[in-house]
Amino acid sequence: MPNGVDLWLFLGLLALAAIAAGLVGSLTGLGGGVIVIPVLVVLFAVPFPDAVGAGVITILATSSTTGAAYVRDRLSDLRIGMFLEIATVPGALVGASLTVVLVHASLDDALLIALGAVLLAVAPLSLLRLGAELPSPKPPDARSVRLGLRGEYHDQALGHVVPYEAHDTSSALGVMFGAGMVSGMFGIGAGVFKVLALDRFLNLPMKISTATSNFMIGVTAAAGAGVLLAAGYANPIIAAPVALGTALGAYSGSRLLPGLRNRTVRILFIPVVVALGLEVILRGVGLP
Amino acid sequence: MTEAPPSAPAPPPELPAAAYERMSLVLRVGLLASLVILVGGLAAYLLAHPAASSGSVLSSNPILQYLSFPGLAHGLASGSIPAYLTLGLLVLLATPLVRVLSGIYYFHHGGERTMTAVTVTVLVLLLVGILVIGPLIR
Repeated sequence: MPNGVDLWLFLGLLALAAIAAGLVGSLTGLGGGVIVIPVLVVLFAVPFPDAVGAGVITILATSSTTGAAYVRDRLSDLRIGMFLEIATVPGALVGASLTVVLVHASLDDALLIALGAVLLAVAPLSLLRLGAELPSPKPPDARSVRLGLRGEYHDQALGHVVPYEAHDTSSALGVMFGAGMVSGMFGIGAGVFKVLALDRFLNLPMKISTATSNFMIGVTAAAGAGVLLAAGYANPIIAAPVALGTALGAYSGSRLLPGLRNRTVRILFIPVVVALGLEVILRGVGLP
Repeated sequence: MTEAPPSAPAPPPELPAAAYERMSLVLRVGLLASLVILVGGLAAYLLAHPAASSGSVLSSNPILQYLSFPGLAHGLASGSIPAYLTLGLLVLLATPLVRVLSGIYYFHHGGERTMTAVTVTVLVLLLVGILVIGPLIR
């Protein structure tokens, strides 16, 4: 898009793109970021750190609402969430700093290639979660026992109380650091990676994983947002329409079309994410 | 699987219900306040710059001069629109910080030293990001 477009038109188109991204992100369960960040960079020529800044602000604006609902329902485990934030927050600080430092060193292309690689990884990872609702029980590790990283919830669908205990906290912390880094570096929620740590390594039931991941995404984004805001890369003129559009799209996705939110839709949109990933990599290596 | 696992762990250490309620309230109020400021600020900015082009906002961030406390205070006092946009971003950013603060409060009151220390560390890291790392790499 040329640089001299009327600001009203530019911001209107930005909001429309964000609505579409929020809608697709909500229907696929991937989150709006994986669509909106490459679209901002590729279609709207938004500088990389400003796009990342808009991304983390969008997460702050959208995760607070879903997080609040889950916290009310007592599904998100505050204790496990807070514990894992000790890994996602430093990850996000490193990621956001890395983005700014790489851009200052004129290594934007390396960032584009890395973003493309993340998009290509997100697509297949999002399909992994097709197993059972409840994991088979595994013993907690010593840290999990010491910190009381366990809980229970009443599963309405199953009709009974489901207890759970965190299994492998060291591996989960490692994956969470990586998830935080991806979030701070690219301004996406990186929920796919967080859920991977919660499902696979902590061995939590799927509902608890999802709710706890949503709860954590806001605090992780705040770490990246703090760095980017203070470094001068949170531009509210760009971020506000993106945040509002994404929120509106995500809301429409969750309210208007609840029946569509299933595996078929996810598989349908995976090629979109893959195409965006490839497009971003091609830009990174200097091809049109 | 339709039955609970046979070796059910001991009942979990519970956070008081009020903790969940208060956190939800903080999240909603903070979000609403920041969105009102941001939307109002954006509308005011567009009305004040009717002939602006996309290039002007892509090439420079209008809030740069308000990223210090004296700069922000002066901007707010003089009614500067970008200063209010900065305030909107700060309120949005503060919402999860308050969430972490309330976590510290409840773990501390529950006498849980390790979880209190963990949550304090998270808060300190968040503050280091905005107060130290961000300005350092600007």
